[in-house]
Amino acid sequence: MKKNALPDEMDQTALIAKLNSGDASAFEYVVGQYHSIMLSVARAIIGEAFADEVVQEAWVSAIKALPRFEGRSSLKTWLLQITSNGAKTRLRRESRQLSLDDGWQAEPDYKFDHRGHRIDDVLQWNIDTPEALLQNDQLRDVIEKTYQSLPPHQRAVLTMCDMEGLQMTEICNILDISASNARVLLHRARTALHHSIEKYQES
Amino acid sequence: MFECKDVAEEASNYLDGDLPLGKRVGLFLHLVICSCCRRYMQQIKQTISTVSTLRPQEQHNTDTQALAEKLRAISKTES
Repeated sequence: MKKNALPDEMDQTALIAKLNSGDASAFEYVVGQYHSIMLSVARAIIGEAFADEVVQEAWVSAIKALPRFEGRSSLKTWLLQITSNGAKTRLRRESRQLSLDDGWQAEPDYKFDHRGHRIDDVLQWNIDTPEALLQNDQLRDVIEKTYQSLPPHQRAVLTMCDMEGLQMTEICNILDISASNARVLLHRARTALHHSIEKYQES
Repeated sequence: MFECKDVAEEASNYLDGDLPLGKRVGLFLHLVICSCCRRYMQQIKQTISTVSTLRPQEQHNTDTQALAEKLRAISKTES
């Protein structure tokens, strides 16, 4: 899939210069742009209870370290790495491999016969272009709610991959999970969203 | 032989180019003969592009304006 580029990503060098010179609008811009993704990462690693605190601390250490930022990665990846490190420090790490063996299925068994063929048709969506999907307020609401109710790891992988266009290797690093875990989480998140759109279209 | 159920499991890996060649071909051949799965695959693609455009946000109560101001104050004392 083509990765989505940020619609209004400001030129990084200019942005960092503005931050270093104390430009208020630049601070508002970075917080507006990155706070939510940092929260996704922190919630995935450490859970709801400490995530806010971890992100606040990550912001402070990032801003303090900013004059020494060398631009070897993008500002976004750097911020996410700081968040991830902070979250991991807070967490006594249990296991690198998440247990994903929980009986999850892309589609429930009853949709297939014993040979794995679909029993019913996959229905054509009435609203079937991304533009039309987005123009429907109720549907936007459904998508947003589904996104917010995804398990934190799924939400974080989906956010970084499909919304922020990070590479899988970066995502695995940030969340400290294996590539196969990340791919499974991504597919589960997309499937959950697909289900909610499908359900809406059928209602 | 690829069945509809396998397509549902592997759709993302297929779209992201993460399937080994054998499975990739198998899934492709299934898509050729199965309109249901073609539609499913199309809908997964639409789901991805919709969410990437909609960019839903995490729920939070942070006052981002205040946070930005606090960070700016910190950066001033640092420099």
